[in-house]
Amino acid sequence: MKRSSIEEFLCVLPAVLLVMVTTYYPLADLVRVSFTDWNLLRKDYSYVGLKNWQWFLENAAGNNFYRDMGTTLKYTAGSVLISLVAGLLLALLMSRMTRGFGAMRAVIFLPRYVGMSSAGLLFLWILNKDYGIINNVAEMMGGSRLAWVTSKGLAMVSVLMLTGWHSVGYAMMIYLSAMTGIPSSYHEAAALDGASRTQRFFRITLPLLSPTVLFLLVTTFISSMKVFNAIDILTGGGPYGSTEVIVYLIYQLGFVDYRVDRAAVVSLVFFLFLLLVTVLTMRWSEHKVHYDM
Amino acid sequence: MKTKFRGYSKKDKAIHVLQTVLAVVVTLIMMFPLYWMIVTSLKTGNVVLNREISLLPDSLSPANYVEAWNRVPLGRYIFNTVIVTFLVMTIKISGGVLAAYGFARGSFPGRNVLFYVILGAMMVPHQVTFIPLYILCSRLGWVNTYMGLILPSVVAPHFIFMLRQAFMSVDQSYLDAGKIDGLGTLGAIWYVMIPMCKASLITVSLTTFITEWNSYFWPKIITQTDAVRVLTVGLVHLRESWTGEELWLHTNVTMAGAVITMIPAVILFIIFQKYMLTGYSKTAMK
Repeated sequence: MKRSSIEEFLCVLPAVLLVMVTTYYPLADLVRVSFTDWNLLRKDYSYVGLKNWQWFLENAAGNNFYRDMGTTLKYTAGSVLISLVAGLLLALLMSRMTRGFGAMRAVIFLPRYVGMSSAGLLFLWILNKDYGIINNVAEMMGGSRLAWVTSKGLAMVSVLMLTGWHSVGYAMMIYLSAMTGIPSSYHEAAALDGASRTQRFFRITLPLLSPTVLFLLVTTFISSMKVFNAIDILTGGGPYGSTEVIVYLIYQLGFVDYRVDRAAVVSLVFFLFLLLVTVLTMRWSEHKVHYDM
Repeated sequence: MKTKFRGYSKKDKAIHVLQTVLAVVVTLIMMFPLYWMIVTSLKTGNVVLNREISLLPDSLSPANYVEAWNRVPLGRYIFNTVIVTFLVMTIKISGGVLAAYGFARGSFPGRNVLFYVILGAMMVPHQVTFIPLYILCSRLGWVNTYMGLILPSVVAPHFIFMLRQAFMSVDQSYLDAGKIDGLGTLGAIWYVMIPMCKASLITVSLTTFITEWNSYFWPKIITQTDAVRVLTVGLVHLRESWTGEELWLHTNVTMAGAVITMIPAVILFIIFQKYMLTGYSKTAMK
C-alpha cells in the first residue's frame, strides 16, 4: 500500500474506533444485557435466556410499554404538526428580506439555543397554577386559573408549548432557506397569468417545498420520539404517567428500579421501531417526492 | 423588493402593513418568555408571587444572582461545564476533521465500508444506548468523572458527514500545489483544507459548543456530586434546594441561575448568527 494511503487510513481510524466504543459496542452490549438478570445494585448476574423478553411480551400492557408508546406518539404528532404547519406559517409571515424582518427571524430562532433546563424551569414558572403569568393574565381577563403542568389533560399541551417555543424557529429557517431557492420567475410568470396569491402558494410554493416538508417530517419525527429533557424537567412523566414517554420509561426501569435487564429489552424494541421508521421513510421518499426543480 | 410594490393596488399595501403588524406581534410573543426570565430574576422578595401583572422589575439589584451563586457552588458548575465543553470540542473536532479528510480525499481500501460504519452510527441514538454506556462507564470507573461525562459526545457522525462534503468541494489543484511545496497529509489538512473550509468549521465548532453547554440528559445520568456536576444539572439542583412554598418564593433566584446558564450560548448565537443560519440551511438542502 502507498504511504499516503496508510496515512489516510490512520486519519479515519480514531473516529472509527470512537464510534465503535460509543455506539456499536453499547448496542451489542444491550443485546447481551437483555439476556441477563442484571440488577444495577448487584455486582454479579447470570444469563437467563429469554426471560426478560417473555416479561416484556406478556406484560407489555402492565409494564406501561403500550401506554408510553402511545404517549410518545401523541407528543410526536403534536410536535410534527407544530414544526410542519406553524413552521410554514411563520416562514410565510417572516419571509420579507429586510433588516427588521431579519432581526425578528433571529428572535424566533433564538430559543433553540437556550438550554432545555433553563427553558424548562422558565416554563414551569410561566405556567405555574398559582403565580404563573399566563394564569394571572387569564384571571385578569375573567378566565380561570388552569393547572397547566399538573393536570392530566393539559400536561402534554404544556410540554408541547415548551418544545414548540424551543424549536419552531428551526422549522421556519429550514422552510425559508428552501423558499429562497424557488426562482422568483416562477411567481412572476404565474402572476402575469393572473394567478392569485393563494393559487401561487398552492400551485408553486407548496409543491416545490415537498422535499423540505418530508425532511422536516422525518427529522422532527425521529427527534420527537427521543424526547426526554423537556418531559423530565416540566412534568417528570406525570401526572399519573400521562406524559411518560419511552425514553423516560427506559430511564425509570434502569435508574429507579435498577432493572437494567428489562430496560435493555425496552431499549432494543424502541431502537428497532426507530430503525424501521427510518428505513421505511427512506424507501417511500424515493418514489413520492420529487427533488428536481 | 421596493420597486415591486410601485403601482400595486391598495389591497396589496394593506396586506403589506398587516404582515408587518402580525410579524411584530408574533415576535413579541416568542420573545416574552426570555424577557420574563430576566424580569423575574430581578424581582425582590415576595414581589415574585404578586398576582398583579408588573412587566418591569421592581429593582435592578443583582441580589438574586449573588444568592444563586452562594446557594449552590455555581462557580464549580461553570468550571466543570467549561472543562467538559472544551474537552469534547477538542476531541470531536480534531477527530472529525481528520476523518472527514480521510473519507473525502483518501483512496485506501475499505474506505467506503468504514464510511458506512460512521454513517450507520447516526441510526443509533444515545437515548437507546445510555444503559450500556452507563454500564461501560461504571466498569471503567468513569461514573461521576469528566471522562464519563465526555465519553458519549466525543464523536459525531453527522459532523464528519458535513465536513467531508465541504472537503470534497475543495479543488484538487490546491492539494496538488501543496504537495509540490512539500506538504504531507497533516500539512494538507492544516494549510489547505482548514483555511478553505473555515465557514463549515466555524459552524461545526459553534454547534458543538452550544450542544455540549446545554446538554442535560447524559450529565444527569452520569454525575452524582457537585465536584463534576455541570450547569444544566446544577440549575435543577439549585431549584430543588427549596421545597414547598419556599420553592416558588425563590423563583427569582432560580431564574437568575437560568439566566447565567443560558448567557454564553445565547451570546455566541447573537455574534455568529450568520454561521448558524447558513449551517442549517446547508444541511437541509443536502
